[in-house]
Amino acid sequence: MEAKLAGRRSASSFVRSDVFQRLVILAAVVLVYLVFFAASPSFRKYTTVVQICSNMYYLLLMAIGVTFPLITGGNDLSMGTGLICYSLVGSFLIRINGWSIWPAMLVTVLMGVAIGTVNGLIVAKLELPPFIVTLSAMMFCRGMGSVLTNNFSGTWPDGAETGAWFRSIFKIVLRTESGRTPVPLGIVWMVLLVIIMEFVLKHTRVGRYAIAIGSNKEALKLSGVSVVRWHVLAYIISGFFTGLAAIAYAATFSNITPGQGAGYELNAIGSAIIGGTAMTGGSGSIVGTFLGVLLISVLQAGLPFIGLNADWQLLITGCILLGAVTVDMMRHSKRA
Amino acid sequence: MKKVLVLILALIMALSMVTVATAEQPTYHFEIVSKGFQSTYWQAVLKGAEAEIEVLNGEAGYEMITMNFVGPDSESDIAQQVQQFQNALNANPAAIGFAAVDQQAFMELLQQAMDAGIPIIGFDSGVPGAPEGAVYANASTDNYYAGGVAAEGMWAKIKDRIAAAEGAVRIGEVNQDATGESVTQRGLGFIDKIIELAGAEGWGVAVTGNEFYVNGNKGGAVAEADAKIIIEARVPSQTTVELCANEAAVLLNAADTIAVFGSNQTAAEGVVAADGNLYVCGTGDSDIIAVGFDSGATLKAAIRDGVMYGAVTQAPVGIGRVTIDLLLAVSNGETVADTDTGCAFYTAENIDNEEIAQNLYD
Repeated sequence: MEAKLAGRRSASSFVRSDVFQRLVILAAVVLVYLVFFAASPSFRKYTTVVQICSNMYYLLLMAIGVTFPLITGGNDLSMGTGLICYSLVGSFLIRINGWSIWPAMLVTVLMGVAIGTVNGLIVAKLELPPFIVTLSAMMFCRGMGSVLTNNFSGTWPDGAETGAWFRSIFKIVLRTESGRTPVPLGIVWMVLLVIIMEFVLKHTRVGRYAIAIGSNKEALKLSGVSVVRWHVLAYIISGFFTGLAAIAYAATFSNITPGQGAGYELNAIGSAIIGGTAMTGGSGSIVGTFLGVLLISVLQAGLPFIGLNADWQLLITGCILLGAVTVDMMRHSKRA
Repeated sequence: MKKVLVLILALIMALSMVTVATAEQPTYHFEIVSKGFQSTYWQAVLKGAEAEIEVLNGEAGYEMITMNFVGPDSESDIAQQVQQFQNALNANPAAIGFAAVDQQAFMELLQQAMDAGIPIIGFDSGVPGAPEGAVYANASTDNYYAGGVAAEGMWAKIKDRIAAAEGAVRIGEVNQDATGESVTQRGLGFIDKIIELAGAEGWGVAVTGNEFYVNGNKGGAVAEADAKIIIEARVPSQTTVELCANEAAVLLNAADTIAVFGSNQTAAEGVVAADGNLYVCGTGDSDIIAVGFDSGATLKAAIRDGVMYGAVTQAPVGIGRVTIDLLLAVSNGETVADTDTGCAFYTAENIDNEEIAQNLYD
C-alpha cells in the first residue's frame, strides 16, 4: 500500500516537474511535424527543414535573450524594433560608410548591448516597471532606425560582394554534380548556444541570481548580493542576443526595412513562455525556450503547406500559448 | 541736401517695391501621403518629387514649393495612414498627393478635403473609389496593364515548356495582399493575360488559391481537371518578406510548378528568399521561371545572377516628378488629367539599357 502511494506520489511529482513540461512540448513539436509530414508531400523535403532552420535563427536568438529578463520577473519589448534598428545601422555602416563586415557586425551587437544596458539600469536602479521601460525603448528603436537611415531600407553584402561570407555562418551551400545543397550550419551554433546558455542559467551566478531576483528579490538583497548589478546583466544579455539576432535576420532576409520589427518580440516572448518560463519570474529554462521556438517555427513554415495562411498560425499559436500558461500556473499552484 | 533726400526717398520706394514683389510671389505647400518607405520603390518616388521641386524652385528663383512627404510604417497600417492624412488636412496645404493603402478607410476624410477646397492628386495606386470630384488626377502606372506585361514576359519563356508538358503545369503568384489597388490590379492583370494567351493556344486555365484572385478575374477560367495551366494565387497574412517567403516556398516546392510571379518588390523578394533554400529558380529549361515586379538591390542581383528571369519596372522617379507637376497645376486652377507613367519588362539582357536603368533603384 505504501509502495503504491509512494509510486503515485513520485508519478505526480514527475508530472509537475520541468522535465515533464519539456517532454510535452517536444511531443507537440514532433506531433505537429508529423501532421504536416503526412498531409503534404512537399513538406517532406529536406529543403523544408532548411527553411524552418533559416527562419528560426533570429527568433531563437531573441528568445534566448528574453528568457533572462522574463526570469527576473521583467520583460523586454524592445527586441523586435531593436533588431531592425541595429541591422539597419549595420547595413548603412557597410554601404554608406564603407566599413568592412567585422566592425559592422560588432557595432550591430554593441548597439543591442547599449540599449539593453539602458533598459537594465532604469529597471534595476530606478525600479520603473519593465513593461513601460522596454515599451519606451521599443518606440525609441523604431524611431531611431528610421531617423538614422532617413527611412531608407538597407541590405547586407550578398552574392559575390566582399563580406557576403557572413551568410555562411548560418548556411553553407555544397555544390555537387546534381546541383546545390544547402546545409543549415547555423543550427549547430544554435544548439551550442542553447547548451552554453542553459549552463549559464542553471550553474553560474548570472543565471542563479536572475532566478533568485524573480523568485525572491528581497531575500537576495538581505543575503548581501548586489542585486542591481545582476539585474542589469539580465537585460544586457537580452540586448546582446538581440544584436546577434539582427545579424541572423540580415543573413536570411536580404532587405531590412525601417518601421518593421514590432511584433517579432511577441513571438520570442511567446516561445519562452510555451517553453516553461514563468511570466511571474523565478523559473524557466533555455532548453524549454528552444523547444517553444521550434514549435512556433514548425507551425509558421508548415501551415501554408496545408493551405492555411499565417492568420491560422497566429490563431493556433495564441491557443497554444494560453494552454501552456494555464498548465504552468496549475503546476506551480500544486507545487506550492 | 535735396539730392540726399531724393536719394533716400528713391531708395525707400525701391525697397518697398521689392517688398511688394516678394509679397506677390506665390508659394505652395504640398502634403504628400505615400504608402510608406518599406521598399526602395517609395524612396525613388520621393527622390523624383524632391528633384522636381528643386528644379521648379530653381526656375522661380525662390522657395516657391515646400513639401511634407510622409507614409505609414507598413502597408498594412491603415490607421496610421488615416492619422497622417488627417494631419495633412490640418496643415491646410495648397494640394495633397495621396496613395491610399486601403480602398474604404478614407471616404469621410476625402469628403472633408473637398469641403475645405483642398484638391487631391492620386499617385501610384491613387485613391480608388474616392467620392466624385475629390481626386483631380492620378499619376500612376496602369497596374492592370503592367500585370499583363509581366505575364507576356514570362509567357515567352515558358510557352514551349507548357506545350511539351504531358500533364497540367502550375504557375504560382505571390501577392502581398488582396486589398491594395495596385497589387490586386497587377495580380488580376497577370491572371487575365495568362488566360488570354493560353486561350489563343487552345489551353484551359484554372485559377486556385486566394478567393479574391479566384473570383476577381475577368472569367474564362476552367475547372482544375480540364486545365492545362493552373494558376495558384497566394497571399500572406501580413505584408512582410518572411511571410511572403513562406507562401513562395509552398509554390516552389510543388512538383508541377514551372513559373512564379511576385507582384511587388516585397513579394518578389519573398520568392528570392524562399529560393535561397531551394535552388529551383533559374533560367534553364528545367528551372522554375521567376518573374518579379519593381527593383531594389536584391531583385537586381537576383536577375543578374539568373535566379530571377525578369521583372517589370515602373517609373517611380517619374511618378514623383509628375505628381509634383500635377499638384502645382491643380493649385493654380488648371485642368489636370490622369497621367500613365509607364512600365517595361526587363531581364539580365537589357537591365543596363539606359531606358531601363534610369528607373531601377537599389
